[in-house]
Amino acid sequence: MEEVVRSLGLFMPEIVVTAALLLVVLIDAGGAPWRNAAARLVTLAGLSLALGLAFGLQGRSASLFSGMLALDPLAVFFKVILIAASLLTVLLFTFRNSRELHGLGHGEFYALLLAVTLSNLLLAASNDVVMLYLALEMVSITSYVMVAYMKGDRMSNEASLKYLLFGAVSTGGMLYGLSLLYGMTGATGLPEIREFLATGLPEENRFGIYLVTFLVTAGFGFKVAAVPFHFWCPDVYQGAPTPVTAFLSVAPKAAGFAIMLRFFFAGFATPGTGPWDLTGTIDWPALLMTVSVLTMTLGNVAALTQTNMKRLLAYSSIAHAGYIMMGVVALSENGARGLMVYLAAYLFMNLGAFLVVTLVHLEDGTFDLRDYPGLYRRAPVLAVAMAVFLLSLVGIPPFVGFMGKLYVFAAVVEQGPQYYWYAVAGAVNAAIAAFYYFKILKTIVVDPGNEDKPAFRLAAVDQAWVVVLAALNVLPLLFWNVVEGWTHSSLTLLAGR
Amino acid sequence: MVGLSHYLVVSAALFSLGMLGVLTRRNAVNVLMGVELILNSANINLVAFSRFGAGNLNGQLFAVFVIVIAAAEVAVALAIVLTLYRLRRTPNLDEADILKG
Repeated sequence: MEEVVRSLGLFMPEIVVTAALLLVVLIDAGGAPWRNAAARLVTLAGLSLALGLAFGLQGRSASLFSGMLALDPLAVFFKVILIAASLLTVLLFTFRNSRELHGLGHGEFYALLLAVTLSNLLLAASNDVVMLYLALEMVSITSYVMVAYMKGDRMSNEASLKYLLFGAVSTGGMLYGLSLLYGMTGATGLPEIREFLATGLPEENRFGIYLVTFLVTAGFGFKVAAVPFHFWCPDVYQGAPTPVTAFLSVAPKAAGFAIMLRFFFAGFATPGTGPWDLTGTIDWPALLMTVSVLTMTLGNVAALTQTNMKRLLAYSSIAHAGYIMMGVVALSENGARGLMVYLAAYLFMNLGAFLVVTLVHLEDGTFDLRDYPGLYRRAPVLAVAMAVFLLSLVGIPPFVGFMGKLYVFAAVVEQGPQYYWYAVAGAVNAAIAAFYYFKILKTIVVDPGNEDKPAFRLAAVDQAWVVVLAALNVLPLLFWNVVEGWTHSSLTLLAGR
Repeated sequence: MVGLSHYLVVSAALFSLGMLGVLTRRNAVNVLMGVELILNSANINLVAFSRFGAGNLNGQLFAVFVIVIAAAEVAVALAIVLTLYRLRRTPNLDEADILKG
């Protein structure tokens, strides 16, 4: 009982999000005429409060609810990132500026968004495979509903169905893998699993542990859209309402990488001084390295020929998952740090790009890149901001995207000569990616067309948010020592139970 | 005497059958049945390991949670399949093909 009471005190961000979720449902069910505004207000208030509380947990290290959840600096970092992603989504995308959401219920949307946020928070902090599986399924199931949000729309429905079937199979396979892991180690907590693996594995279990690694990677690979579990990603990003797409491309991906880091680092490796030592002889970095190279290559090559902006950004997000995974493969503190910096940077650049896509759709009703010419003339603010987001996605200084790439590449290179080819593959991919990002830029600025169309009538608040996001892609570099210090102090994983 | 390996064989067979069902069936409801088989094969594993090897009840606890998740997942899945049927008058997955490229 004392344990539960103590844990509840350190569980405040999640409790606040849960309370906001229930309140939104109640407000919506009440049917008052002001319910839509109230639902948004409660969501914003709840998320802001949770963000503040998450900041307040910095530096704490504890095990919650009999080892189900870990509260350590790494978990707190991801809590902040995940709540910030939800908060930004609610602030940037409204039922006014997203044409696809016109006429749909407000309350359910915010309730679902809060539910995904809550499950993301649980997933990023899971320290036990039971909690890990439950949180992963909770993220997935609520995301399926969010994708199907446009009930009468065939694309939205089809996207959700594909997402669901893919998710059910990958997470089902992962569950089978986790059950085998439990059978081999006799434990469900990640610290105990590591202790067991550290004592060495009997020879006859070698195949089993490889199978487990493969099946678990399938589950994580599905969550972060890594090849060969990425097939859902382009369809879902295209079919879902754009605000949902933007949210899914940053928040569950960040949570997926958080748990990937925690599972492999806390369960399968021993944190030492400097680079982490591998537990036993499981060669999982080689597996992840292959997955990562395939992911970025396929994502970038497939993106080259896309003309639908949502689909293009979907393939680009697959490629980015490949780069981010470099941080896991490096298996070092700097690798983990690169992953964190990259995910934080990705939040600003990707949400910004999707916001511009949403605003163009609001004005012109199109997601097709071939309708983008003349944007520079019709909406200079949007065009300049989009240029910032794209350059940040390419990874050009002085934008945050560059810092993300710099950190993960540096982490990989310092691992030694056998990793050089991996860094080279990443660099070649970054060059391919630059091609299609610059193609968008060229379409917006140079290409002729749409001369007869009038200038955009953008709401002041939308313009302001576009500018703020563009600024967020540059400003962190001026305060880089703060980011540096924060990521450095967030590198502690909870080791005990 | 029925031992651990018997349970593992049954669960591996169930897993394979479930995967086969998912990959080969056209009807969305049949595919969902395949998913159920996959989840239940893991449940058999968990309970058998808990009974024969691990010496703790974590596995049985895990299995209870999996049952709950399976119910929630199927509820959402059937709602989506129902919408598919309402929009296209078919439960067949291969006719949902407008998103590609």
